[in-house]
Amino acid sequence: MDGFLLVIWVVRLLFLALLYLFLARVVQSLLRDLRAAGREPGASLGRLIVVESPAGEPEAGRSFDLDAITTLGRDVNNAIVIDDPFASSDHAVLTYRGRSWYVEDLGSTNGTFLNGRPVAAVSPLGFGDEVSIGQVRLRLERARTS
Amino acid sequence: MTGAAGGASAVALPRILGPIRPRARWTEAKLLALAGFALLVGSISLSLGVNGVFAPYEPQGLGIYLGALALAHVAQVLAGRRSDQVLLPVTGLLGGISLLLMQRLPQNLVTLDVGDTTLGLGEVQLMWLVLAIAVATTLGVVVRSDAWLRRYKYTWAAAGIALLLLTFVFGADVAGQRLTLRLGPVGGQPSELLKVILVVFLAGYLSENRPLLIEQDTRLGPLRLPPLPYLAPMVAMWAIALGIVVIQRDLGAALLFFGVFLALTYAATGRLSLVLIGLGLFLAGSALMANLFEHVGDRVDIWLDPFADPLGSGYQIVQALHAFARGGLLGTGLGEGLPLVGGRPPIPEVHTDFPLAALGEELGLVGVIAILGLFFVVIQRGLRIGASAADDFRAILATGLALVIGVQAFIIAAGNLKVLPLTGVTLPFISYGGSSLLANAVVVGLLLALSDRGVEPPPPPEVATGWRGRLRGRRTG
Repeated sequence: MDGFLLVIWVVRLLFLALLYLFLARVVQSLLRDLRAAGREPGASLGRLIVVESPAGEPEAGRSFDLDAITTLGRDVNNAIVIDDPFASSDHAVLTYRGRSWYVEDLGSTNGTFLNGRPVAAVSPLGFGDEVSIGQVRLRLERARTS
Repeated sequence: MTGAAGGASAVALPRILGPIRPRARWTEAKLLALAGFALLVGSISLSLGVNGVFAPYEPQGLGIYLGALALAHVAQVLAGRRSDQVLLPVTGLLGGISLLLMQRLPQNLVTLDVGDTTLGLGEVQLMWLVLAIAVATTLGVVVRSDAWLRRYKYTWAAAGIALLLLTFVFGADVAGQRLTLRLGPVGGQPSELLKVILVVFLAGYLSENRPLLIEQDTRLGPLRLPPLPYLAPMVAMWAIALGIVVIQRDLGAALLFFGVFLALTYAATGRLSLVLIGLGLFLAGSALMANLFEHVGDRVDIWLDPFADPLGSGYQIVQALHAFARGGLLGTGLGEGLPLVGGRPPIPEVHTDFPLAALGEELGLVGVIAILGLFFVVIQRGLRIGASAADDFRAILATGLALVIGVQAFIIAAGNLKVLPLTGVTLPFISYGGSSLLANAVVVGLLLALSDRGVEPPPPPEVATGWRGRLRGRRTG
């Protein structure tokens, strides 16, 4: 009878111990995942994906990591050079302030468009939104973290 | 430069439609094996407690359940997606604990006649669990684009409100609450599905209006508010939550919806002022309700002092507290909790409302903490998937799905422990109930699909999208 009681207790505690072993393993794998994400270089504030670019510079599908102030235009001194006949040399600027991205048109000839609407003043920009400069369409995405 | 950089990212597009290649998921396999072993030991412990036999308790049921989990794993390996590998084992273990609990409770709590045989509580729950695994796996494997959620958010909202109204009008009253909707033989609790629809709508709404909500335009005394029209949804949400309390008498759903709404608004905008206004509205509404409606006031009174009427209105919660107390640190062991009182389990509605109290009795504080830990892992996965999502919609959607599980688990766990007034929501993955299990399976399935960054869907909108711009574009063009 005592042996039986012992078995019951061993099995009962083993079950609880296994629950914690499982949790420990899960936490291990979560930590690995977080460490890997932390090691990833260039954790930036966001990135711009080129959705469409008829002129081929920048190429469609390319991704740019963004700095807090990123200038766009035809001039080679811009952070992102847009070699499009309809782009001005200093066309637009993307800035990260506080919690959000903003886009501003720098007095370009043909204007900057946010989701198809012309950008008149400094406009907030969400991840997933599209900016058009000339014939080039760019989408803002969150930086890769995993 | 252009060759290397362009080439690397250019292959990203065709790969979406490329052949499906199986991809091993070792983390998931190992964790599933461990979860399966733990459940086997739990089943033996249950059998020792009930029959004194060293063998799994109802091995067929456990076998079917573990087989379903293994099949889900194989299906995901074959599909070759890079989705999350922790969610399935963790929710699988929670479901397995639920199966053990339902097998252990009196089988006549729920019966379902299928032909000549009558299925008891454990078998019905097993059926729902297997269905839930199938739903979660199918969504996780098949859903490769979120456009169907993103594009039709107002349609989803309309469907949700229609579902709510249908329940208001045609719902059956069960125990003073109008929660169940019956269409012929199929019955269910729409509020479980509604919570998913709510998150989908909020994700669409908040991601579209996030920039506007963050801009600080209006000042109201010390508070800085977003433009007033954008507060309308908050007031609407508040009204809907109050409507649910008044008409459906479902405090739990109202608390869940409003809690998720507030948490998600905060997650999306980072503005404390919105949360403060929401909390203010909530407290004002609650105080009003507690004074105006008896069923709300009663709940609060029971919560404040269940021992005032321990054999009447306070019976359920008093019994639950006793169960936790009997469990102590290590519990009485599975199957060795308090036997039936007068042919019924001591806690009324233990299989839907108080599974945590039953587990607290048989697994003790140590076991309950482990179970809460499993819920924390589910929430962590959801938030992590949200944090690494490429755009706002997916980030908010994943966050919201995690919050729904987390807030619901908190509401009912707190209710069981007399931390909050008791409200009748289910404990995700553990409570008995088809609606609850299937709705939570949809949540897990969507999280699995969203976690996959390997096969990202093509860029979402061809047409211009965004707040206001869309409407204006349609009208003029």
